[in-house]
Amino acid sequence: MTEERSSPRWLPIVAVGAAIALAAMALGPGRALNFARGVVLSEPSFRDLPAAAGWSLLRMTASYLVSVVFAWAAGYAAATRPRAARVLLPLLDVGQSVPVLGFFPAAIYVFITVLGGGRLSLELASIFLIFTSQAWNLAFAVYEGLSTIPHETRAAADSLGVRGLLRLRTLLLPACIPALLYNSILSWANGWYFLIACEIIVTGKAEYNLPGLGSTLSRALARGDLRLAAGALAVLIAIVVVLELAVWRPLRVWSRRFRYDTQVGEEAEETALRIPDLGLPTLLRPLRRLGRGLWARIPVARINRGAAAAARAALAAWRWLRWPAGLALAAGLVLGVVSGARALAGPWPREAGQLPLALLLSFLRIAAAYVLALAWIVPATLWASDHPRGARALSMVAQVGASVPATAFFPVLVALLVNRFGGMEIISIALALTGMQWYLLFNLLGGVQRVPRDLRESLRALGLSRGAIHRQLVLPACMPSLVTGSVVAWGGTWNALILSEYVVYRGRTYEVLGIGQMLNRATFQTGNRALLFLSLTLLVVTVVEFNRLVWDRLYQAVNVRYRLGA
Amino acid sequence: MRVLQLRHVSKSFVDRGRSIPVLDDITAQIPERQFVCIVGPSGCGKSTLLRIMMGLTPPTSGEVLYQDRPLDGVNLKAAMVFQSFALLPWLTVQANVELGLKARDLREEDSRKRAAFYLDKVGLDGYEEAYPTELSGGMKQRAGLARALAVEPELLFMDEPFAGLDALTSANLREEVLTLWSDQALPVNTVVMVTHIIEEAVLMADRVLVLNSHPGRLAADLEVQLPRPRNKRDEGFDALVDSIFEKIV
Repeated sequence: MTEERSSPRWLPIVAVGAAIALAAMALGPGRALNFARGVVLSEPSFRDLPAAAGWSLLRMTASYLVSVVFAWAAGYAAATRPRAARVLLPLLDVGQSVPVLGFFPAAIYVFITVLGGGRLSLELASIFLIFTSQAWNLAFAVYEGLSTIPHETRAAADSLGVRGLLRLRTLLLPACIPALLYNSILSWANGWYFLIACEIIVTGKAEYNLPGLGSTLSRALARGDLRLAAGALAVLIAIVVVLELAVWRPLRVWSRRFRYDTQVGEEAEETALRIPDLGLPTLLRPLRRLGRGLWARIPVARINRGAAAAARAALAAWRWLRWPAGLALAAGLVLGVVSGARALAGPWPREAGQLPLALLLSFLRIAAAYVLALAWIVPATLWASDHPRGARALSMVAQVGASVPATAFFPVLVALLVNRFGGMEIISIALALTGMQWYLLFNLLGGVQRVPRDLRESLRALGLSRGAIHRQLVLPACMPSLVTGSVVAWGGTWNALILSEYVVYRGRTYEVLGIGQMLNRATFQTGNRALLFLSLTLLVVTVVEFNRLVWDRLYQAVNVRYRLGA
Repeated sequence: MRVLQLRHVSKSFVDRGRSIPVLDDITAQIPERQFVCIVGPSGCGKSTLLRIMMGLTPPTSGEVLYQDRPLDGVNLKAAMVFQSFALLPWLTVQANVELGLKARDLREEDSRKRAAFYLDKVGLDGYEEAYPTELSGGMKQRAGLARALAVEPELLFMDEPFAGLDALTSANLREEVLTLWSDQALPVNTVVMVTHIIEEAVLMADRVLVLNSHPGRLAADLEVQLPRPRNKRDEGFDALVDSIFEKIV
């Protein structure tokens, strides 16, 4: 979002239009509902927990792998070809900001029509949805990693004749590792959030069989089995924590080698927090030795020559295929637009009149959650800025809080709050808050830690009080982090709305008027295609435009005004 | 014998639709066994010229001949040393030096032996398993030098190789580069070095190419006839430095 890009202005608009048109082509809630009626549901019990955890983990892993492959391809293309970058970067940006959960019914429908109504199509739909929550920032990470390779390092590899496979292994892949890993942790947390959401959605009014922790959780609560729900939640948190300790943390330590420079302070902090690596290095060592042995046996130069020839052939073939491919794409677009128009043309249901009000109410709900989140996070970070120990503890809390998917708490919160404290309105705001606060806390803490110590000491030496230092230095210095955190938090919360405005609990539906509720009703209750399509369009357009008109500008302004150092 | 010839080489970059000339019509020859320095003010395109000679970037017009044949892409008979050392931080010193050998499909034990030989030559034996971040600037540049020498190039390019080092280290390394260059047992005997310090050029080179800027043109092509080993207090040293300085201004 920072750098200047000379991208065509119309591109994001076309992308959004295409996405909506494709959804319109595919949206057929009636058929998805009909399919669901034929499914025999199995009621989960404690015995099913390990299997459910296994399924959830499998889904996550599959979509993560697909995301990494996609991210590599897109990031590499954007980093090496300026023309590709001009198209790809805005598309990735849009992908990042569109509330993908709204497209879930459409995704289910597409996979059911293409593959028939089996378990496989549901699995693929959910994997696809998780993918859409993971891929974008990974692609940006690859792009960033590749385009920040120092000029001379690149030239050095070239001057040594390092090409093709060898170049990929010794230069390009290592250069991406730190950014890719950092973003993998974010993506993985994001993925949990969406995985649980998918599994909960499919156990909404229209029920499918998608065994997993999320579906176990929500189904257990729907029939009031609190013990099973607590068990599922415990298993989920255990998995998240174990993965953090056994996989991500060792990887993070290992990835430090792939950076061009190491900040001394950061190193010290990480060692202070270090928990013994859980077995992973020992597990990986034989694998690595095997890999090394294989690599040594590959005749790199010969393969490279072959690959170069293949690339040339592919490029030539592409030149021939470019026009037919473009034509097919254009035809697809026209078809999409036509079906979009058809979906919109039908007689609009009476509820459509409520859409603007629903959108406004949803917006107000997010704003309320945002204010509530800031109300505790800003004082907390200011306090942390004076107490380094406290800051470390708080960032641990934020890390754990952010990595446990807030969606898992939705059913629990509902169970606790329903029929109490002002009912559904409060619940939906509370749900929005659970998803929102960690992003803000995480980013603000990062901002506080970047305030240079000598700057703070110079103000103290001038005799400024603690409050004055907060006002004059810490808060302004945190502005860029605040905006970054806000963008992510708002983006996540638009998604969360789809779950939080319409909740099924103990066979009863609790709902408040909002855009998320409209989407849900259209999908699972009335099956009204025009309404579904209208609310989806409205939601997507609002979010994308809000990002463009508010956050992007704010981000730029804040970065000019409040940047520390050069 | 001429190793490298530049014929009417020009280079311009496009920036926001405007073409900015960097090098303008440069014709020169690099004969075998010569130590050539390119000097000029910053921004005169001397590094760009070196990259064109190496084949890292093509000239906008004109041509580069290596052994009387036009250069097409990176010259694998040449090697380059960089100001920022440009070592890969995730590879050990040994692996960094072996990188160019891997690219040439050398057998693993051969490349290990050769890397060890050149690491010894530059005085880095014992540091094979170290990572670049653990080395001082001078040692990093030694590793960079070993990496370039290990591919046994006929031509060695150096882009301000001593600019990132402190005065004492760079003086030492300068001496060692001259020793390596005059070592008949090593294959490399033709060197082209870019520097912005005129004294350094006069101290090291057989010949100095002087560029001036906006756009970079060849202002002078001087032989340095002072006897080796040279010293800054040698007779005629200051006079030569002054005359080159005048040509740049």
